[in-house]
Amino acid sequence: MMPPELTVLVLAALVQVVTFVAYAIPANIELGSGYTMSARDREPTRQMSDRTARLGRAMTNMFEGLILFGIAALVIHTTNQSTGYTTLLAWIFLAARIAYVPAYAYGLHPGRSIIWVIGFGVTVLMLIAALF
Amino acid sequence: MTETTILATYGLLVMLTILLQVLGGMQQLSLGYLISSRDETRTVSGMTARIERALANSITAMALFAPAVLILVILDRTSPATLLAAQVFLVARIIYLPVYALGIPALRTLVWLVGFAATAMLYLLAL
Repeated sequence: MMPPELTVLVLAALVQVVTFVAYAIPANIELGSGYTMSARDREPTRQMSDRTARLGRAMTNMFEGLILFGIAALVIHTTNQSTGYTTLLAWIFLAARIAYVPAYAYGLHPGRSIIWVIGFGVTVLMLIAALF
Repeated sequence: MTETTILATYGLLVMLTILLQVLGGMQQLSLGYLISSRDETRTVSGMTARIERALANSITAMALFAPAVLILVILDRTSPATLLAAQVFLVARIIYLPVYALGIPALRTLVWLVGFAATAMLYLLAL
C-alpha cells in the first residue's frame, strides 16, 4: 500500500497532466498547430479564447502548487510524520486543485480565489506539520 | 536543523513570497481584478514587479533544490557537508528576497549565485 500522502501526490500530478491536455488541445486548435510547433519567435497571429487562456493560467498556477505540495508530502513521508491530520490535509489539497480547474475555466468568482486559498492554506499547514 | 526541515522552511519562504505578491497585486490591481478571471492582462510595477520576478526565480530554485535534498535523504547520503550546503542555500534565498524587493543590484546576483552553487554542490554530493 502506498502511503496516503504519496498517493495524493501522484493523483495531483495526474490532475496537472489532465489540465495540460485540457489546455493544449483547444490552444492548438485556436492558434493553429503551425504556430504551436514553431519556435514561437513572434506572438501568435490568432488569439486564444478566454476559456483556453484561463486553462493555461490554471496550469501555470498548478505548477507552483504542485511543487510546494510535493515538498510537503515528501518531507512528511521521508521523516515518518504522517498522521490522520496530514492525510486529511493532503486529500483537501487534491479536492481543491481538482475544483480549481473548472472554477477558473468557467470564471467563477470569488469561488476560484476561495478554492486557491484552501489549497494554499492546507499546504502551509502540511509544511508546518512537517516542521513541528 | 536537518536537510528536510530546511526544505520545508524554504517551502514556507516561497509561500510568504506568494503572499507578498498577492498583497502587492491587491494594492496595484485591486482585489476585484485578482478574484476575476484576469481575461485582460494587467501588469504590476515597482517593488511588486520585483517580488513577482523574485517569486518566479524562487520557484525555479525550489524545483531544483527539492529533488537534490530528497535524493540525499532517500539514498541516506546526508553528511555535515550536505547540511552546510543546504544551510547556505536557505540563508542565500532568505537574503535574496529583500535584496530583490529593494532593487539592490550586484548583491542580488551574488546571492543568487551562492544559492545556485549550493544546489549544484548538493547534486555533486549525491552522486
